[in-house]
Amino acid sequence: MSISATTAETETTVEPVKKESSKRLWLLAPGVIWMLLFLVTPILMMIYVSFWTQTTFKITPDLTIKSWVTFFTTDTYLSALWTTVRIWLIVLASTLVVGYPAALYVGLFVKNKTIQTALLVLCVIPFWTSFLIRVLAWRPMLGKEGAINLILQGLGIINQPIEVLLFSELSVIIGMTQIYCVFMVGPIAFMMGRIDQSVIEAAQDLGAGFWRIFRTIILPLTMPGVVVGAIFVSVMVLGEFATAAALSGRKVNLLGNIIVTQVGSLKWAFAAVVGVVLTVLMGVVVAALLRVVDLRKEL
Amino acid sequence: MSSVLKLAGVTKAYGTLNALDGIDLSLPNDSYVSLLGPSGSGKTTLLRVIAGFEQPDLGTVIFKGQRIETVPPHRRDIGFVFQNFALFPHLSVSRNIAFGLENRAENSVTDPDIVQARVKEMIALVGLSGLEDRGVGQISGGQRQRVALARTLVTEPSLVLLDEPLGALDANLRARVRSELRLIRERCGVTFLHVTGSESEALAMGDMVLVLDSGRIAQAADADTIYNRPKSLSVASFLNCYNLFEGRLAGESFLSPYGAFPLGDQMQFRDDRTGYAIRYDRVAIRPAEVPAADDEVRLEATFVADEYSGAAINSFFSLDDGRVFEVESHLSQSMPPACTPQSRYTLVWKRRDALVYA
Repeated sequence: MSISATTAETETTVEPVKKESSKRLWLLAPGVIWMLLFLVTPILMMIYVSFWTQTTFKITPDLTIKSWVTFFTTDTYLSALWTTVRIWLIVLASTLVVGYPAALYVGLFVKNKTIQTALLVLCVIPFWTSFLIRVLAWRPMLGKEGAINLILQGLGIINQPIEVLLFSELSVIIGMTQIYCVFMVGPIAFMMGRIDQSVIEAAQDLGAGFWRIFRTIILPLTMPGVVVGAIFVSVMVLGEFATAAALSGRKVNLLGNIIVTQVGSLKWAFAAVVGVVLTVLMGVVVAALLRVVDLRKEL
Repeated sequence: MSSVLKLAGVTKAYGTLNALDGIDLSLPNDSYVSLLGPSGSGKTTLLRVIAGFEQPDLGTVIFKGQRIETVPPHRRDIGFVFQNFALFPHLSVSRNIAFGLENRAENSVTDPDIVQARVKEMIALVGLSGLEDRGVGQISGGQRQRVALARTLVTEPSLVLLDEPLGALDANLRARVRSELRLIRERCGVTFLHVTGSESEALAMGDMVLVLDSGRIAQAADADTIYNRPKSLSVASFLNCYNLFEGRLAGESFLSPYGAFPLGDQMQFRDDRTGYAIRYDRVAIRPAEVPAADDEVRLEATFVADEYSGAAINSFFSLDDGRVFEVESHLSQSMPPACTPQSRYTLVWKRRDALVYA
C-alpha cells in the first residue's frame, strides 16, 4: 500500500516540476534578448551591408560582390591581413614567453597565498591608467630621444640612437606584449594554483628532476590556462587598432586600422567586408585553440 | 637484523615550536613498522624529513649506510605514499604507475616493453587488473590508494613511507586494505613505515611500533609490549585503553585524588610525572558497599551509560569530581551486572594489574 501511495505522489509531482523548469528558462530572457539585439543582429547586418553597392559618396542596398573582390585583389588589404596574422602570432608567442615563467613563479613557488594575490594584483596595476595613456607612454620611452636610447647612449653602449625602437613593427609588438601579457599570466597562474603541491612532491619522490616534472606534470596540467590566456590575447590583438596607430607611425596597418579608415571615409560596405573577414578569422582562431584542450573537461 | 634507516638526534623547528625534538630511531630491514602519534606530535614532519621534503635543523639521517640529509628527494630511493594519494590527475592508472620508471633521474627505464611488463606485474600484485586505462578520477577511493602504492612500489624503493594510508578510506575498506598492505609488503620484502593516529591500526599493523610524543620517540617495541607495558603515562594515554590517575607515592600506596590505592606486585616505570594506570578490561564491576579482597584495589563510582560493541560492553562511570572511568567487560568471559544509571557501584581490580609511573 505504501508503494502505491508513493507512486501516486510521484505522478502528481511530475507536472509542477515541468512547469517549474519552463519558468526557470525566463532567467535566460534578458541575456538572450540583449545578445539578439546587440550581437546577432549587428553581425547579420554587417554581412548584409558587405554586399551593398558603394559609390564614392553614397551606399545603396543593391547587392554586389564588388567590395569583396576589391578586398581579395588589392595588395594593401591582403598585406594588412597578413600583417594582422603575423603580429598576432608574434604577440601571442611573446606574451607566452613573458607570461608563463611569471605565472609559474607566482602560482607555484610563492607559497604564501597573500603574497600570491598581491603579486597578481601588481600585474593589474597598469590597468588603473587608461588604455590610450598606456600606449602613448611608450613614445617617450622608445623614441629617438627617448629614455631607452638616452640611457644606452649614456652608458656608452651605443653611439647613435636605435631608430627602429619607435614607429616600427617592433614598437607595436613591444606595446602589445606589455598590455596583453597580464591576460596570459592570469589564467595560467590560476591553473598553477590548482596543482596540488603533493602531486609535485610525489613526482619528485618517484625520482623525477625539475625539468621532467615540468614537462610531464606542470605543463599538461596548465595547458587549459594557456589556452584560455591565448584566447583572451588573440581576440584582443586581432581586433586591435589603437596601439598600431599610436606606435607605428602609420607604417603598420592591421585590419582594425583599415576598418577605422574606411568608416572614417564613410565606406560602409568595404568596412563591413573587413569586419566579416576579421570576425571569421577570430572564430577560426578560437575554434582551433579550443581544439587543443577540452576546456569543459579540464575546468 | 641490519637496519635500513637510522636517525640520530633529528631536530626540526618551525619558529619556536619544536616539531621534532631529537628523534633517534632505527628501522630494521624487511619489516613493517608503524608509527603512532596523536595529531601535532610531528608525524608528518618526521616523514617529510626522511623523504627529503624538509631539511632537519640538526641530526643525521643515515639510509643504507649513507648520510642523506642534503640529498634531494628525487635521488633518495625512498618511496612516499601520500595521505591524499597525490595521483597525477591527467594520467591513466597505468601511466601513473609507469611514471617513476620512465621519468626518474637515475637509471630510468627507456625500453617501453620493460616498463609495460613491470607495470602489468605491479597492477596484478595490487589487484587492479582491468582498470589500466581508467582515469584516476574514475576509480574508487580504495582503488586510488592501490594506484598510489603500486606507483611507489614499482620503482623498488628500499623503504616506503605511508602517511596515514588508511585515513581516506571508509571503515569497511580499511580492515581489508590492512591485511593487503601486510601481504604486499611481505611479497616485496621492503620496509614499510606506516604513520597513523589510530592506536588499533598501529598495534595491528606493526611488527614494531614506534610511539611519537611531542617530537620524540617515547617508546619503540613490539605491539604486545606497547599495549601491556607502555613506558610512560603519555604512551598509555595514546593507547586509549587505560584509566589514568595522577598523584603521588606514599609508602605502600599511591595517593590519587580519589583515595589511596594500595600497591603490591605492580609493574613500575620511570617517568617525569607520577601516575597510576589500570586497563579498562582489568576492572570488575560489583554492587556498592562490597569490600575488596586482600590483593585488590577498590574505587566507588556512579554508573552513567554503557556501549555495546558485540564482543564487549564498555561501561562509563563518573568519579566523584565528574571524571569518567571506563570499564571494558568481555562478554565471552562473564556478563557484567546490569547497571542502573545514576546508581553507585564498586569497581575493583587486582593490585598486580596496575602500572605505576614515578
